[in-house]
Amino acid sequence: MKSIRNMTQPELCAFVQSQLNERGIYVVLSGGASVSFYSSNKYVSHDLDLVNVYAVKRRVIHEAMNEMGFSEQGRHYIHPETQYLVEFLPGPLSIGSEPVKQVDEIRLSTGILRIISPTDCVKDRLAAYYHWGDRQCLEQAILVAKERKVDIEEIRRWSDAEGKHVEFEKISAKLIS
Amino acid sequence: MLQPILGSENIERVLVFIFTRNEGYATEIARFFETDLYGIQNQLDKLETGGVLVSRLVGRTRLYTFNPRYPFLKEIKSLLDKALSFYPAEVREKLLMNRRRPRRRGKPL
Repeated sequence: MKSIRNMTQPELCAFVQSQLNERGIYVVLSGGASVSFYSSNKYVSHDLDLVNVYAVKRRVIHEAMNEMGFSEQGRHYIHPETQYLVEFLPGPLSIGSEPVKQVDEIRLSTGILRIISPTDCVKDRLAAYYHWGDRQCLEQAILVAKERKVDIEEIRRWSDAEGKHVEFEKISAKLIS
Repeated sequence: MLQPILGSENIERVLVFIFTRNEGYATEIARFFETDLYGIQNQLDKLETGGVLVSRLVGRTRLYTFNPRYPFLKEIKSLLDKALSFYPAEVREKLLMNRRRPRRRGKPL
């Protein structure tokens, strides 16, 4: 097993997820780090946003993280051997008002990486754009849509369900091109 | 009204206040309900940690709003709307009838 010092971001994530999973804590990678992964690091995030899918108590997560050598600093967990920060977000695992139905599992040398799909990653970024007008998130959505195969019709359906039909039509060409 | 299911009177106060006014900060919520500031701050913090609310700094004030990405937002707003209809008319009025439009600086009252 690699030491934490030598782990890439996805490897570290898979390591933490697998260690937590052994303790019955199921977490899924979302947010900026999923954009990093799907864009082959064209966008760089130093945060690992792990969604605490089944609302495991914070104390239980805290103990498991301490055992791996992480310590809590504000809302993040830090480790002396890595620059990456780990944050636990409250569940349920959702994109807007809909639950995430499929989680991708990718086997790495350090464990199994559990991550939202490229299509859900685009939806997650678009949610921030739709609701907060965050243009950086729109750029990230476009980056993932260009790098990975995403289901544009599903993104259209979801946008409609979120009441963002007009907004989607304005940006859909950028996702497709 | 919703205390048996929310588990705290202050959580209901925070949610109802933000539901009716779209946003709020700890001091004004505590002042409105004539209650302890710490109790309100504590619930705002819990609701933000739980993803129900989001906050941003406006000057030196931390302003809270509903998180538009919270998956149960529509349902919780529907529940708060119904709860509000059971509130005494004067409280409902006071919550809803609040000047939010701008007032030009120096304009006489």
